[in-house]
Formats: sequence, structure tokens, C-alpha cells
Amino acid sequence: MKKEKTKLSRRDFFSAGTALAGGVAITSVLAGYDGLLFAAVTPNAKGIWYGIGIDINKCIGCGKCANACKLENNVPQAPFYFRSWVEQYTIKNDGSIVVESPNGGIDGFKQSVPDKDIFKSFFVPKMCNHCAKSPCTQVCPVGATFETEEGIVLVDEKYCIGCRYCVQACPYGCRYIHPDKGTVDKCTLCFHRLKKGLKPACFEICPTKARIFGDLNDPGSEINYFLKNHNCMVIKPNLNTGSKLFYNALNPEVR
Amino acid sequence: MEQHLQDLYEVLSKVDGYVYPNEIELNWSILIVLYPYITGLVAGAFILASLERIFKIRILKPTYGIALLTAFSFMLVATMPLVSHLGKPLRAYEIMITPHSSSAMAIFGFVYLWYLMVVLFLEIWFDYRRDMVIWAGETTGFKRFMYRLLSLWTTDISPKSVALDNRIGYIVTVIGVPSAFLLHGYVGFIFGSIKANPWWSTVLMPVIFLFSAMVSGIALVMGIYIILSKIRRQVIDMNCLDTIARYLFYILIIDFTLEGLDQIHRIYVAEESFEALHKLVFGQLFFTLFIVQGFFGTILPLLTLGTFQFYKPRAEIRKVIYLVLSVLILIGIFFMRWNVVIGGQLFSKSFYGYTSYKVGMIGAEGYLMAAIWLIVPFLILSFLLWLLPPWKKIETDHGNLEE
Amino acid sequence: MPQHIKRLIIAFSLFLALFLVLRQVLRPESFGELGHFRAKAIPENAMRPMHYTVTDSCTKCHGGIRSEKDKGFHKNLKCEVCHGPGLKHATYAGQFKNGALPDSLKLYKPGERKDCIICHQLNAARIKIQFDTINTTMIHQIDPVKHNPGDPDTKEAFKCIDCHSPHQP
Ligand code: HEC
Ligand code: HEC
Ligand code: HEC
Ligand code: HEC
Repeated sequence: MKKEKTKLSRRDFFSAGTALAGGVAITSVLAGYDGLLFAAVTPNAKGIWYGIGIDINKCIGCGKCANACKLENNVPQAPFYFRSWVEQYTIKNDGSIVVESPNGGIDGFKQSVPDKDIFKSFFVPKMCNHCAKSPCTQVCPVGATFETEEGIVLVDEKYCIGCRYCVQACPYGCRYIHPDKGTVDKCTLCFHRLKKGLKPACFEICPTKARIFGDLNDPGSEINYFLKNHNCMVIKPNLNTGSKLFYNALNPEVR
Repeated sequence: MEQHLQDLYEVLSKVDGYVYPNEIELNWSILIVLYPYITGLVAGAFILASLERIFKIRILKPTYGIALLTAFSFMLVATMPLVSHLGKPLRAYEIMITPHSSSAMAIFGFVYLWYLMVVLFLEIWFDYRRDMVIWAGETTGFKRFMYRLLSLWTTDISPKSVALDNRIGYIVTVIGVPSAFLLHGYVGFIFGSIKANPWWSTVLMPVIFLFSAMVSGIALVMGIYIILSKIRRQVIDMNCLDTIARYLFYILIIDFTLEGLDQIHRIYVAEESFEALHKLVFGQLFFTLFIVQGFFGTILPLLTLGTFQFYKPRAEIRKVIYLVLSVLILIGIFFMRWNVVIGGQLFSKSFYGYTSYKVGMIGAEGYLMAAIWLIVPFLILSFLLWLLPPWKKIETDHGNLEE
Repeated sequence: MPQHIKRLIIAFSLFLALFLVLRQVLRPESFGELGHFRAKAIPENAMRPMHYTVTDSCTKCHGGIRSEKDKGFHKNLKCEVCHGPGLKHATYAGQFKNGALPDSLKLYKPGERKDCIICHQLNAARIKIQFDTINTTMIHQIDPVKHNPGDPDTKEAFKCIDCHSPHQP
């Protein structure tokens, strides 16, 4: 009952807002945030609105996505710069948690905890959440980073001043300063591939189809199917970032 | 470049627990520590000056001019650490051309200009205009040219125009106090508004920054006053010094309370991030937070200044102690900024681990660069004191003219 | 108005005018058209060079391997997972006769043990799904130390592809 109400009022708000902004998708920073509801009633009801799904059960931690991302987008090879990487979480029987990500998972993982000590272990691929109320675009002082109409957060390399405020503001650690360019760099959801009708490199390459993306506005899209058939969560929902990266089988330990 | 990567590999080997790969590199370095430090000094020094002017605390008169010039010379360099830290320093102007209204940092350019030009510059200008006109007649060469230029080739020093100057100067000061609060509260907001970082994101951050700014600014002016009097072989006005110390004591109490409150609040609500921060505070930050900032920068000065409220040793001893205290406080507040800025980046936003930070000697983000930006304001101050010596001014009693 | 105030106002006005002019001059052309950013940045982002292509584009020339692969366990694997980014290869390789492919166009041939192990190594995080009687996994794993490391007599190390065809394991 209560949910129904919010849903309606939010839709009203958005249509009014969209009208005001002349068709540009805007999202209220002030409105609350429930991941699934947010996906079901997208802020930009016209056109495409991208969402991403990752199935943790399917991820085999081969790190090929992180590798492909680096090669596709000319990310520096040194292990301090990643647009996309994979983490291995190991919850031990003694109650401690081991998280590791050697070279972002590109060289594969070696199990560091012996089987008998493990309660549960799983891989978590990380990438930009393409938040709809992204804290990083909010803080950019010059407007060098922005959300497109499709809900993708991009960086304007020619305009970025390299102040690193956005790096601080991103709760997911998805931004870095490109050491050669001096400007910030982040996942673009392979915008250049999307525009040619191709999947982003990491989605294309995944050997187990653990990664899914698609248009949240299209009822028949893969991502909508994924969201309807799995129990999905976003990382750090409490921060109200409007994250559009949904994980199946995400454990709350993942941060 | 190569060196940078090598340093990062060294950091990587020291990472404790797990940090996001992009977090291994600490993005805001010592230069960003300097930035709130210097703006804090400006705001604090200005507020001390306005105590004399607005609240008519005439006993502070000897420090009025020094405080103003100090504020001005630090303000001139306040943006330099920030700009020299940018990845693309030449694009810094964009922040003025297309400021993003939702960004806390974007408005800084305007707050800065407002404060530098409208508050500090105008106040000094109206305060010194008559003297500059007079001095222009007495000097030759470069000095004369500077006076002419600065006074915009005006000559009118009739009592009427001087009275007008005084009135406008007073109004500017009145505007200046909230501006100083704005300037520094605002710098606190830059950090306090980052919800991703639990060490920064607290509503108290702007207020804490403000009061620590006042503490550091007042301590700075006190120190400069003592040293300057020594250099000029002038008798120090102990009444003035004791009064400054008293204000310092009060504001230090507020500052200490606020910071204590912040920490107590953190401990009591013990949010998700608490464990990570706890380990940080007792680990990498232990020395800078508890020893330097807490003990030497806050508790020791508090106790000493508190004692002085009841028991005053001889003037000679007091002078030395005041000087020592002002240096201690300045160092303490510097490390307060350090603990906020660097401390906030030492732990991972995943709360699973810690990176580490080592300041280099050379390079754009090393000690030397930071030292330069700390020394330059003093050079500017010396120049300003030479050009516009407050002690050579014709005495104007601000107190009488405002009515 | 007193003379000095007038001059001060003129000085400030000049400063302000200069700022406004600079602001006009320096503001980038397409700024603000779609929001608070340079609208041109969108096509600029869309024009970055690609390095990966799609598996279907390999089929044109390597149809045999494709159909072979599609019959085996590796049917879900894309060619570029193992061979690396292949756009340049797929675009230009057709111009060369068999055996004449220049090195710059050659793709990586992941024949070493480590190349298979990256996916197949035993790891507790490679989740096993138990569902009633079905006991399956996303990937079959081996212990590289134990699984046919080498010839027991000559001590010569085996490669995985000595026994498994990479395209039809
Ligand atoms: C235009 C036709 C064409 C397309 C499309 C093409 N290839 Fe090739 N490929 C060739 C030719 C020609 C050779 C050289 C064969 C030789 O030298 O024996 C070759 C050789 C190779 C080799 C072996 C290289 C070596 O070192 O011997 C691999 C691996 C390969 N291709 C993979 C791919 C993959 C993966 C794709 C899809 C991304 C692809 N090819 C698409 C034409 C093509
Ligand atoms: C599991 C990883 C894997 C996948 C997936 C894979 N290959 Fe290969 N491919 C290999 C390996 C390993 C070799 C090297 C075999 C050797 O050296 O004998 C190879 C060799 C080749 C060669 C050279 C054959 C030769 O005789 O030299 C071609 C051409 C080729 N692959 C094309 C493809 C195409 C096209 C696809 C996609 C349909 C594909 N591969 C998918 C692992 C793979
Ligand atoms: C990108 C990850 C990846 C790489 C690299 C890879 N494989 Fe596989 N492999 C898979 C997947 C996914 C399957 C299908 C799931 C399954 O049945 O295990 C598979 C299945 C297999 C199987 C069949 C297992 C069964 O079901 O009995 C064999 C054998 C195999 N791979 C061998 C190899 C060899 C040999 C190599 C090295 C040339 C290799 N794989 C490289 C991902 C990979
Ligand atoms: C001496 C030949 C030989 C070599 C070398 C070899 N394998 Fe195998 N592999 C086999 C045979 C035979 C089987 C099927 C019987 C079995 O399950 O052990 C098999 C089974 C497998 C399976 C399926 C296991 C399962 O649980 O069903 C995988 C995966 C596999 N191999 C991967 C590899 C990888 C990766 C390498 C290289 C590190 C490799 N193999 C090297 C002979 C070999």
C-alpha cells in the first residue's frame, strides 16, 4: 500500500521534472531509494535506461572481464588502475573475512585459505554502478563528468581538471586518475561499443554469462528478466546513490 | 612517472587487509592538507582583527593591522596548493567559467574572490588609503609608485573623506565576519558532504573546521606579534597579549568540545564503519591524532592557558610560553587537517583494510613544495609590512568614528 | 560621490567586466546544451577506438573452429576470451595468405598450462550448486598439481592441449 503511493508520486515527480528539464533525465537526489523499485520505475521513461546485472553464483573468477576492460579501454596495466575488477570474498569459520583481489583478478585467483577453514567463498566482480544520483557527478566542480540520457556516467577528458574530488566521492572506488593524462578515468559501459550496437567488452567476454545488461525500460530485456527472477541487491544501498548495478546472491559482507 | 609507479608498488606491499585497487594511491596529498590549513589561518586572523573593530575591543589594537595583513598574505596563496595539485593545473580557470552549482568545490572560487577582494582588500584599502596618500608624498621611487597605484591616484584626505573611509571599512568588517565564517565553514563542508567517507561525513565538520580555524589564526597572529616586536625591539603590550590568549583559551575550549563531541558520537552510535575507524585511529593515526593534535596541540595549551587565568607568571616567562604555545597550536592544527584529509583516505571505503601514505621529499607533492607554500605567505607578509607598516599609521580610533 | 570611491568602483567594474568577457570567451562551445557539461563530450566518448570485436566476426574465416567449438564444452566461450582482442586481426587478416600473417596481426595462442588454469583451477569460490540430486558447478575444476602434470617417466611437463583440444575439450 505504502509502496504503491511512493511509486505514483515519484512518477509524477519525474514527469514534471523531465518536462522542466526539457527531456533531459534528471533524478531527485532527495527522493528515497529502493533498488528494485528504482529499476521498475525508471526516472527516464522514454528511450533507453541502462541497468546492469551480475550473477555472483555464476562468476568463476577468471578475471577475463578485468583484463578485457583494460585492453579495450587502454587502462594502464599497473595494478592501481581499474575500471572493472574482481574480488574474492572468503568468510572463514573463525568469523573473519578475507577479501583479496591480486592484480584485480587479471592473473587469476589462488585460494589462500585452506578448504577446512572456509565457511563460504565467492567472487564479486566490481565496476562502476552508473548511479542515477551519482555522488561523483554531484561533486564535479566544472561539469566534466555527467550522466547521459541513457543513464551512463561519462567523463569529459578534455574538460576534467583533475581535482580528484569525484574520486573521493565515489563510494565504490571506481574512479582513478589516469597517470599519463592527469584526468580522471572510469568505466563508460564501453559507450563506444554500445553506440555501435555491441556489448561492452566485459559483458562480451564473460565465459559464464554472469554479466547481463540491458534497457530497464524494455519489459522484455534480459536485465528485466534477471531482476524479476532473482533476488537482487545493490552495494551500499544506505548511501542512496541510485545504483543501477544489481547483484544476484549478494551477501551483505560485500562492500 | 616511473618513480610514481615504484612508490605505488611500495605502498601496495604495505597494504593492510583489502583496499579497492584504485584506493592504493592516496589522491589528496599533503598539498590538500595545506589548503584548509591556510584558509583556516586566514579566517582566524581576520576574525581576530574584526574583534577589535566590530566588538570594539580596543586592547587588541596593536594586533589589528598585523592580523589584517597576515590574513591577506595567506589568502593570496590559499589557492596555490590546490591549483598545483590539480592533474591539469592550466584548466583551473574552468571552475570560475562553468561552476557546477551542486558541487561544494565549485563555489570555492567565488567565495574566495569575494573574501579576498571584497572583504580583505577593501578593508585594508579603506584602512590605509589616507596613509598611502600621505606616504606617497614622503617617499620616492618604487615605494611612491606603489602607494600611488594602490591608492588609485587619489589625493583626497579631507577629514570628511577619511570619516567616510572609516564608515565603509566598518561595514566591510561587518560583512567580513560572516564571510570568514562562510569561507571556512565552507571548506569544512567540502569534506563533510562526502557521504561515501564516514571519517569526513559529519554535520559537525564545518563547525569544527571553523573553530579550529579561529584557534590557528589567533595563534598565528599572536606568534607573529611576539616575534615582530622582538625584531623591532618594541615593548610587547602584555595586556593585549593576555587578552588574545584569553580568547584563544575560550575558542580552544569550544574546539576541543566539538571535536570530543564528534568522537563520542561516533563511538556511541558505532555505525558500520566504526570498527575500521577505530583501528585507524589507534593504528596509523595514533601519533598524529593523540600525541600531536590531542596532547601537544590541544590539551597542553588548554591546561597552560587555563592556569594563566588564575595564576600569571612574570611577563618575560609568559611571553616565551605564549610563543611556544602558539607554535604548538599551529602544529597541532596542521595535524588536525592532516588527520582529516590523510586519515580519511588511509582506510578503504570497503572498511576491510588500510593503505599507507609516505610524503616524498621532492616532486610536485613532496615536502619541499608544501614548505614553499607555507613560506611564501611569510615573504608576502614581510613585503606588506614593509610597504604598509601598521605601526607607522596615523592612529585612528575605530571605536569613536563608527557611532 | 567622493573621487576615491568613484575610482574604486571603476576599478571593480573593470575587473568584473574582464571576468564577464573571459567567461564568454572561454566557455566551451557546446557547454550546457544537454545539461551542465559539454554536449560534444558524448560523441567524443562514443568515438574511442575499439579493440575487441564479437565472436560472430571470427566465423567468417574460421567457421570450422567455430562449429567445432559450438559442439563442445567451450560452446559458451567467446574466441576472444582465450585469444585476446581481435578486431584488428579480424579486419586485416583476410589480406594475407596462409602462413604469411605478420606478427603484429597474430593473436595470442594460449597453449600454456597457466592459460587454462586461470579458469579451471580448483577454488572454493567457484561455486558448486547442489540441487536435490543434481550436483553441478559453473565450471569443472582440476588440481593442476595432480591433474596430469607431466609424463611420469620422462618428467616432461604436459600441456593441457596435449590431451584436450582447446576448441572441443
Ligand atoms: C578475414 C578473415 C579472418 C577473420 C575474420 C579472422 N581471422 Fe583469424 N586468421 C585469418 C588468417 C588468414 C589467419 C592466418 C592463418 C595462417 O597463417 O595459417 C588467421 C589466424 C588466426 C589464428 C592463429 C594465429 C597464429 O599465430 O597462427 C588465430 C588464433 C585466429 N586467427 C583467431 C581469430 C579470432 C579469435 C578471430 C575473431 C576475432 C579471427 N581469427 C577472425 C583470418 C581471419
Ligand atoms: C579455451 C580457449 C579457446 C577458445 C575459446 C578458442 N580458442 Fe582458438 N585456440 C586455443 C588454443 C589453446 C590454441 C592453440 C592450439 C595449438 O597451439 O595447437 C588455439 C588455436 C587457434 C587457431 C590456430 C589453429 C592452428 O591450427 O594453429 C585458430 C585459427 C583459432 N584458435 C581460432 C579460434 C576461434 C575462431 C575461436 C572462436 C570460435 C577460438 N579459437 C576459441 C584456445 C581457444
Ligand atoms: C575463460 C575460462 C576458460 C578457459 C581459459 C578455459 N576453459 Fe575450459 N571450460 C570453461 C567453461 C566455462 C567450461 C564449461 C563448463 C564446464 O563444463 O566445466 C569449460 C569446460 C572444459 C572442459 C570440460 C569439462 C567437463 O565438463 O568435463 C574441459 C576438459 C576444459 N574446459 C578444458 C580446458 C582446457 C584444456 C583449457 C585451456 C586450453 C581451457 N579449458 C580453458 C572455461 C574455460
Ligand atoms: C595426459 C592428458 C591430460 C592432460 C595433460 C590434461 N588432462 Fe584434463 N583430463 C584428461 C582426461 C583423460 C580427463 C577425463 C578423466 C578425468 O575426469 O580425470 C580429463 C578431465 C579434465 C577436466 C574435467 C574434470 C571433471 O571434473 O570432469 C578438466 C576441467 C580438465 N581435464 C582440465 C585440464 C586442464 C586445465 C589441463 C592443463 C592444466 C589438463 N586438463 C591437462 C587428460 C588430461
